[in-house]
Amino acid sequence: MAGGSLAAVLGFPRSGFARAAGSYGKLVDTGRCIGCKRCMSACKRWNKLHVERDELVTDRQTHLSGNNFVVVNLRVDAYNRHERTYVHWTCQHCEKPACVGVCPVSAIQKLPQGAVVINEKKCIGCRYCFQACPFKVPRFDFEKRVTRKCHLCYNRIPLLNYMKPACVAACPVGALYFNYKHEVVKEAKRRAYRRQGSTYIMGFEEAGGTEILTILPARPERMGLIAAPGKVINQGLQKIRITASGIMGASVIAAGMYLYADKTRDRDDPTDEYGQ
Amino acid sequence: MNTGNNMRNANFDRMPSKRHYPLWVRAAAFHIRMAAAVLAAAYSAGKQTVLKIFGILRKIDPEFDLSPGFLFWAGGLFFFLLLGGYAFLASLLTSIEILEFAVEIPWEALIATYVFLVTAGSGLCVINALGPVFGMRRYEILSRRTVFLSLTSIIFGMSCIVLHLGHPERLPIYNALSPNFRSAISWMGALYSIYLAVVAVELWLLLRPELLVRAKRVRPEAGRRLLLLLTLAKFESGHLGKLLRDCKLGRLVGILAFISGISALTMLGSVFAHTESRPLWHGAYYPIYFLVSALFSGCALLLTAMIMSYRFTGHVIPPRVSSMIFEMAQLLAVLLVAGLGLTAYRLSAALYLPRMQAPATLLLSGEFSPVFWIFEIGLMTIMPVLTLFWASRKKSLAGVLSGSLAVLTGALVMRYIFVVGGQAYPVLATDPVFQIPTVFEIMLVCGALGAFCMIYTLGERFLPLMDANPHQA
Repeated sequence: MAGGSLAAVLGFPRSGFARAAGSYGKLVDTGRCIGCKRCMSACKRWNKLHVERDELVTDRQTHLSGNNFVVVNLRVDAYNRHERTYVHWTCQHCEKPACVGVCPVSAIQKLPQGAVVINEKKCIGCRYCFQACPFKVPRFDFEKRVTRKCHLCYNRIPLLNYMKPACVAACPVGALYFNYKHEVVKEAKRRAYRRQGSTYIMGFEEAGGTEILTILPARPERMGLIAAPGKVINQGLQKIRITASGIMGASVIAAGMYLYADKTRDRDDPTDEYGQ
Repeated sequence: MNTGNNMRNANFDRMPSKRHYPLWVRAAAFHIRMAAAVLAAAYSAGKQTVLKIFGILRKIDPEFDLSPGFLFWAGGLFFFLLLGGYAFLASLLTSIEILEFAVEIPWEALIATYVFLVTAGSGLCVINALGPVFGMRRYEILSRRTVFLSLTSIIFGMSCIVLHLGHPERLPIYNALSPNFRSAISWMGALYSIYLAVVAVELWLLLRPELLVRAKRVRPEAGRRLLLLLTLAKFESGHLGKLLRDCKLGRLVGILAFISGISALTMLGSVFAHTESRPLWHGAYYPIYFLVSALFSGCALLLTAMIMSYRFTGHVIPPRVSSMIFEMAQLLAVLLVAGLGLTAYRLSAALYLPRMQAPATLLLSGEFSPVFWIFEIGLMTIMPVLTLFWASRKKSLAGVLSGSLAVLTGALVMRYIFVVGGQAYPVLATDPVFQIPTVFEIMLVCGALGAFCMIYTLGERFLPLMDANPHQA
């Protein structure tokens, strides 16, 4: 195992073990994925999504959309062109989701089970969640006119005790693994340790930690995935700091206007009449 | 097999049928049919409706006359409205997908137009505050026009957002029932709603004295009664009338408008600045730049509207108003220089930050560079600064008008490259980013701007907006 990736594998996640036992997570093991797209197919069945022409054919490049909550695409390591991996890409269900913080009508919620869910009956379709999302996942559905994304099959979890999300249940090779978050973390480390070659676990550092962990052969930016910032603005105080700069600017402008009014008062007509 | 079941449940409308024509043929056939229907409807109802509208306008104002210039202007605006209406109808009948050029760039020309109109309207609010809040009497003579222009521009800016949203009807409901206090859009919506209400009251207070005088002259009884009701003429002699005539009330409303307008504008800047994953937008800079850019675009809008109103109506500009125009032209030039300084600071600082380098390079030497240098720097800053300083020295109204128009055109393009360029990273780092808006988007933007100009023209014609001391009338 390469030195750089060893640190990533053995490094403690910032908040992985501190999560409540009730929180769930999902592991994506790209080393096992064969690109059969059964996860996409199962997701579409469970969520009653349209199937576009040829999109379930292996190796056909697909994009996330209001009709595609999960995609499986072949990715190539930019530094090692022989390393070709199928990457199962979906909402990463951040621990501190930026989309929840920006939705103007509180249509997005972080559930105690870990899933980040959009209430489609409340969504106004402004697409601000897409702008704020560090992974650029929530996509607009032009037919329903709302933003949609993966909800980690939250509607399957409470119905039957410990029912896996549709994609996990459909995976024929065990590339997807679903369990309590701390079990997922253990499993991710175990699989990464046993895997030959370099590995990187995406989800510990990205966007402050995510419920989905992905074992990649290299860092996400090398694999052509979006490199999410390590921290995402979510808390009120950080936002207030930015808005405060605007308020300070407004105060400076008000002071400038006062000075302008004071210095040019002699131009005012003291009789206050409309000069023709 | 899952795949088989899915194929059975698939939407077969999307499958190729036996008579499968290319997309452009189907699109052309759809638009030819729709255009024919629109033209037929316009022809059948057109002449009588136009005559009826002119009849109503003549009743409101007996002196209403149709000069060739006014007809040309109104015809042009009507054409723009027709374009916007057609695009809106087409988007309703097909999908709002026709208004987008890329799924990865969901905020495009409509958001840019929204930002342009709303910042200009908020800038006008700040300029208007010079009169009632900071006590500059010479600015009070412009207040009616400024407040009306601010109100209309923000309303039509909001209409662009309504066209862009998937479900605009849910916004007021859920923004009231379950607002998200961490979201800048939620705050912006609430603050602009307050601002619109306050500005509507301010405009009513400013127009009330003149409308009271007019109410006695209006001929149709219904119109007279409506005006008397609107102006609360019944209470004119009582305590309420005295309170409404009091300058202190106008000053209080002006202060409220200033505070709500400038905080709403700050929140508009924060909408972009809060998105950490968009390097070009993120940070403490844009709330400040939005304030300065709002001031110069509002100033340019006011100057353009004033000069064009006097030109169209044929009124002679009073010396005090013309001296105001030249003073504001100098102010506009100073604001443009300040805006240029802020832009230079932002981009030079960005070149030193690793995360910001790529987006800044996109503007300075990348795909956006021709538009950035020609429109934002050339047309919006350097050319108007030179023209405005020259025009205010030589007392040339044409120079001021051309400078202000250049600022407005440049500002619209500047908002577009700000909105679209900001979304280039991190999604489309390798793909071509700069794209001209789709035909339907351009049509819709034309419609929104045309409707804004038309409402302003009607207001200019039928409301007492000409620059005068509001307390004098």
